[in-house]
Order: sequence, then structure tokens, then C-alpha cells
Amino acid sequence: MKFKKYTDKKLGETVYCGKHESGLEIRVLPKEGYSSAYAVFGTKYGSIDTAVRNADGEFETIPEGTAHFLEHKLFESEDLNAFERFAKTGASANAYTSFEKTAYLFKGSDKIEESLEILLDFVQNPYFTQQTVEKEQGIIGQEIRMYQDLPDWQVMFNMLKALYSSHPVRIDIAGTQESIAQIDADLLYRLYETFYNPANMVLCIVGDVDHKRVAEIVEKNIRKTEGKKCERKYEKESPVPVNNYVEEKLSVAQKQFMLGFKEDISEPLLSLEDEIASQIMLEAVTGKSSPLFKKLLDEELIDMGFGSELFNGFGFSCVMLGGTSKDPEKTASIIKEEFARLNAEGIGSDAFERAKRKLYGRMVMNYNDIDDTANMLMNLYFNGYEPFAEIEACKSVTLAKAQERLSKIKDEYSALSVIIPA
Amino acid sequence: MPQIKMLADKVRLVSEATDKFKTGCISISMALPMDERMAANSLLVYLLKRSCKAYPEMSLLSGKLDELYGAILGAAVSKNGESQVLTLSITCLADKFALEGESIQLEAAQLLADIIFKPNVRNSSFGADALATEKRLLIQRIEEELNDKRTYAFNKCISCMCKNEAFGKDKYGTVEEIENVKMADVYEAWKNMLSTAVFQITVVGAADADKVASAFEKNFEKIERKPAEIETVFVQKSRRFNRYEEKFPVNQGKLVMGFRAGMSHRKDNIFAVTVMNDIFGMGTYSKLFTNIREKMSLAYYCWSRLIASKGIVLVESGIDTDKEKKVSAEVLSQLSDLRNGKTDPEVLESSKRALRERHAFTTPEGILGWYSAQVLCDEIMTPEDMVSGIEKVTMDDVCAAAKKLSVDTVFMLSAQEEAENEV
Repeated sequence: MKFKKYTDKKLGETVYCGKHESGLEIRVLPKEGYSSAYAVFGTKYGSIDTAVRNADGEFETIPEGTAHFLEHKLFESEDLNAFERFAKTGASANAYTSFEKTAYLFKGSDKIEESLEILLDFVQNPYFTQQTVEKEQGIIGQEIRMYQDLPDWQVMFNMLKALYSSHPVRIDIAGTQESIAQIDADLLYRLYETFYNPANMVLCIVGDVDHKRVAEIVEKNIRKTEGKKCERKYEKESPVPVNNYVEEKLSVAQKQFMLGFKEDISEPLLSLEDEIASQIMLEAVTGKSSPLFKKLLDEELIDMGFGSELFNGFGFSCVMLGGTSKDPEKTASIIKEEFARLNAEGIGSDAFERAKRKLYGRMVMNYNDIDDTANMLMNLYFNGYEPFAEIEACKSVTLAKAQERLSKIKDEYSALSVIIPA
Repeated sequence: MPQIKMLADKVRLVSEATDKFKTGCISISMALPMDERMAANSLLVYLLKRSCKAYPEMSLLSGKLDELYGAILGAAVSKNGESQVLTLSITCLADKFALEGESIQLEAAQLLADIIFKPNVRNSSFGADALATEKRLLIQRIEEELNDKRTYAFNKCISCMCKNEAFGKDKYGTVEEIENVKMADVYEAWKNMLSTAVFQITVVGAADADKVASAFEKNFEKIERKPAEIETVFVQKSRRFNRYEEKFPVNQGKLVMGFRAGMSHRKDNIFAVTVMNDIFGMGTYSKLFTNIREKMSLAYYCWSRLIASKGIVLVESGIDTDKEKKVSAEVLSQLSDLRNGKTDPEVLESSKRALRERHAFTTPEGILGWYSAQVLCDEIMTPEDMVSGIEKVTMDDVCAAAKKLSVDTVFMLSAQEEAENEV
């Protein structure tokens, strides 16, 4: 297997990227002075993949929460489950499902190669029975209930439901009690075959590892199946939200809010440059050193938890701002006024430069953590970028670009989600 | 091995220098007794974080941190045994990553020292507006603990269990106490902190410990130190079982069971107690995970947590309200198996391996957390000391430690009936 080497001298890091003949992408970042390693084996299959192409080439709908359910079930096998196998190496193993991917991971300092073999093996060997599927419905049922009581989670999904009419980003990652009840072992096997083929997957490892050894272990342990990247269903939806205001009563102390602005996107994916320019712009306009933050705090409309972010992926992009507020509607209108003012007057170059420096600093800091680094390498790959592309993009963002990103935020495409104390 | 140096009476510097990280981190832990000053102390730490003489406004200080490549200034209040610990910390990039050759580390260290020793004080006042804002934010912070039912139930179990001990108090003080704090109280709390708190300055990564030391030493020269004596009461055995319940309009109930661990001080039998707790309910091989979640599918999570600084263990789980009896009975039955040696020997080995991994810190924050938690310990224990102690634990030690666990308090956060829900 051939590797291509990417080095960022200033950062002092090197990543080796290679493609196995099965189609599996491998990215390895060896870290000097580290005795541990973190590996993540991910597939581009997340909660937004609610439609899959069937044998006739048509998109068929699958129950909500299937990717997450599959994630839970892959840990099972006929004899020792994955947790029991990792217990023998001491590595801590876990997995997560997000909107766009499912990832399996371990972290350990002893027997790293053995742990890597277990990771590759358990993810490639599904074992589902009706009985184990039913058992999992109980566990995941409790997980869903737990999230239903979390106001931060609810306020965001209520907002996404208000912004998006058909895009599956509006559904909960774990699905619902009803949707997971429709899942059976046959369906899991079928979806497994579709989404868990090496061409749709990536393996990223950071820490005390050598890329050549990783290649050897992969060579020995990877299924030589024919597979291809899965195509995502894309339907452009109107930028106009379903509702401009939604609320829900929950057991909370004070009102929680999230204000979302849907972007009128022309392509399913934003460029990395646009993404990072938005992050810098949001920091400059809404961060703790901004006039907006001071005004909202002085008027007792927010607390220190107020924050904003760009939330984007395949077929969706929106800016979200949220926190606790005694008056979410007034807070929202002040935010909108500030966006309008800065669209007219322009973002100050000092504020822009400070925000850019901050983001650059935080990006470098991310490389401290082998967990964060490996996950970032995976995200860059799934979105079609080379290692360190995020740092390069950050350095090259201009004020004009940040200003342009601000101009995409439009009041008529916004929705306010509020949680009211029950 | 960390370097240890005393800078003044009960002002200890613990540093672990390494250039493998992108950052340098400095954390100042200030331990105080849990007395009538708690509310003023809590407000103080947030007032200090807000500004300083050189950057007298929150937005100016935030702007300075942004310029320092997004340096992270942290302030926190926590309980460490029966002590209220105030923490101020800064994390920033190592100088070699600066784009224009600036010295980020030195500036950050100076800034942190200024925040503690040169606050934005005029005529013994931190500013009436600043105090009013910080009061509002702190009260809101306390009230919002209700939003996360898992943490709420966990803390509630502790406060019920330790209601006659200082540990049962809220770490920030009560809302009423916070409302009643006057400016003079905060100023006095600042003076008191400088003179009586037990200090630990922990430095990890690219920060220059010598420069940090001299910056702090100089400031302490002018301060007359009278360090406080801080003691924690260890109740070794439950005296009486109590159950408490609160109802909320929620989907999932939260069960928290509090146990006394039979410890007489924070390091009492610590290796065996740590392994015992891990096998009981910390790992994926633990009794609680494998039975309550995997076998019985009663919960998504069911963990046990050891608070060694107070000698207690808490088991927490998110469950259907009507399953409380079933789950709590199963927790006790698992404990009984643990006491009676009904544990696969392989699980002991798994636990030791996992604990070894858990002490192999891979981030500066991890190392910092390990050492700063020892602010009240006379002797510093390294993660390696901990691991070698754990290696020697036998199954008999685990059983003996489990036998000392006694259930003290159950706190159940229950879901209200549907009918009540619709009101």
C-alpha cells in the first residue's frame, strides 16, 4: 500500500494517507512522545441516511434511527462481545452515531495492534438475532427517553424541525420508540451490507503508531469485498422554514432558546472555506468580546452560556444561536438588528483579526488531543479534504469573505425555538 | 515525575514540563473551609475572571484572550472533601505556534497572576454593576442545575445523604446567601483567600514553571499568610437508611444510591476501594453494566462513582420510574455478589488494565486535573504510584472493600403521572 505524506511544519505534524485496494482510506498521524493511540473506524452512514438505493435503483425509505441501532448492535457477536474482547487489551472502546456518520473507536496504550485487530474485526462481523434486537430496543428506548428530557437537545431538534420540512436532519439521531420498533435483524443485515463496505469507510489513527504497521494489520484484517461509496439522496428544499416559532414545555428553571437561520444553499455541501469563514464571522459578531454579547448581557437577556455556531452537512446549513433567556423574542430581535447593522456598516477589521487568531489557536490546540485529531481527520476525509486543510483555510479567510457569509443570514429564513418551564 | 516547590506557607507549585503538547496550562487551586464565606467566595472567583486592572471590562479581557490565540481563561468552584476550592486557570498555545513570534506563554502567566493579585478594585469595591451581574449569573447557574436531571439527582442524593455534614452544602452557597452578599464581603473574601487559602499552582506543558513561580512568589511576599486548617469528616458506616423522592414532569426517572465506603481518610485503602468501585460499576465489564444494562436491558446507563475525598460511592441510573425497586434490588444483589467473591478473576485483570489506561493521561488537562485535585494532600501521588498500588490489589482485597460499603441514602427523581403532566 502506498502512502502519501502531508506535513505541516509550523504545526509540527505529519499525516500519512493511503488507500487500500478494498477502497478503505487510511490516515495515520504518529505523535512523538505519546504512549497511547486512538483509532476510529467510521462509515459514511448517519441519521440523515433515511433512504437507501435498492436493487431496482430506487430510493427506499428505512426507519428513523437505524444507523444508531446498527451501531449498538455491532458490538454483539456470537461468542465474546466487543467490550469483552477489548477488556483483554485494556483499551476503552466506544462508538457514536451522528447526522452523517457512524464511528467505532478505541483508545489504549498497551497492545495497540491487538486492539486495532479487534476494532477491524468486530466492525466487519455483524451478528444480529431477533432476540438481541429486542433486547436493544429496551436499552435504546431508555436512551431516547433520556434525550427527551435534555432541554439543550430538545431546543435544537425543535428548531431543526421548524427550519426543515423534509431534510432528515430534522429527525432525532436515535429515532423514536415507534421507529425503532420496526427494526428487525433482516433489515440490519441488509443495511450493513450496503453501508459497511470498505469503499464507504475510513480508518484514522493518531498517537503511538507507525503507518507501515497499520497497513500490514489492515491488509491482514480487511474484508476483500467489492463495494462502492454510497450515494446520498439529495433533494433541494426551499430556504423558507416550516414555522418561524416553536415552543415546548419541559422541566427547566428558565426559558431556553435557539434561533436558527437556514441558508439558501445551491450545492449540497458548503466549501471548507465558507464553513471556516462563517465560524470566524460568528466569533467576531457574537463572541464574548463583541458589542452584541455585551449588550445582551447588560440587558440581562443572556448568561455566559450564550453561543453560536454554523451547523452544516450534506444538504443542510444553518447558523444557530442559543442559550438561556428570560425573553427569547427580544433577544432574537436584538441579534437580528445587530446582523443587519453589521451587514450595512461592515464587520470591524480588529474584531475580524481577533476572531481569526482565536480560531487558529483553537485549531492548533485540537492537535493536543489524539481523540479530537483522529475524529477531525475522519471528518476532513468524508468531506473530501486533505489533512491540515482546515488550518490552511483559516489562514486564508479574508474579511470580505466573512462579510459575504454574514450576508447569507436572512431574517425571513429564521426560526426561533423556545423551551418554557413546565 | 513532577517538580514540586513551596513558594510560601501552603503555596505549592507542582509542574510537569513537556514540549509534546501544543499548549501550556496553568491552574491555581485555592482551597478554603466550607464556612459562612462560601457565597462571597463563589462570587469572588467569577468577579476575578471578569476583568483586572489592565483590562477593566469583560469585553476587553475577552478581546485580549482572543489576541493571545484564543487563550482559555477558566474559573470554577468545586468541592474537594469538605473544602470549597476556587480555581482560576489559563491554557494557551506554546510560543512556537505564534504567527508573529510573540511570547504567548509569558503574557498568559502574567495575566493570570494579575487576575488574582491585581483585580479591578477601586476603594475596596469590585464595582456595583459587576457584582450585580455576577450575582444574577451565579443564581441562574444554580437554578439551571435543575435542567440536567442526571446531575441534579446526583447532587441531590449527596445533599440528602450528607445533610448533617458540611459536604451536604451546595458548593456555591445558597441562593439566599448569594443574594445577601455585600461588596465589603467580597473584598474581605479576596483578602481572606490570599492570606488563608491553601494554594496549589499546577503547571503542565509548554508553560515556563520558573517564570510562573517567580511571578507568584513576588506577589506572595507582600501577603501575610495564615493558612486555614481544613478537615473532612469521614462517616465510615451508614447509620440509618433513608429514601427521598421528588417528582417532575419528565420521561425518564433517575435513581441515585449513596453508599458509605468505610474509609477514614481520602487515601484509606484507596487502591482496593478504587478497584472495587471499578468492578462494581465503572467499566463495561462491571457488574452494573453487564447485568442492569446488557442482561436485563433496564437502563442505558448505570454507573458507580467513587468520591474518595469524602469516602462515598454513588450509583446512578436513568430508568422507568416504576422499575425503581427492581433496579435498586439488583444493584444490591450485584454488590452482594461482589462481597462474596462471585466475580470472574478475569474481570479483576480487566479492571486493572482499564485503570492503568485511565491513568495514562494523554492531554495536559488530564494531567492538570490529576495533580490539582491533590491541593489538600500533603504528599503528591503520581499516576504511576496509583497504578502500581492498583497492581497489587487481590480479589480478597476487593471483597473486603465491598464488604465495607453500606447503603445510606436513595434519591429517586420520579416521572409524574401522565394526568399531572397535562396540567
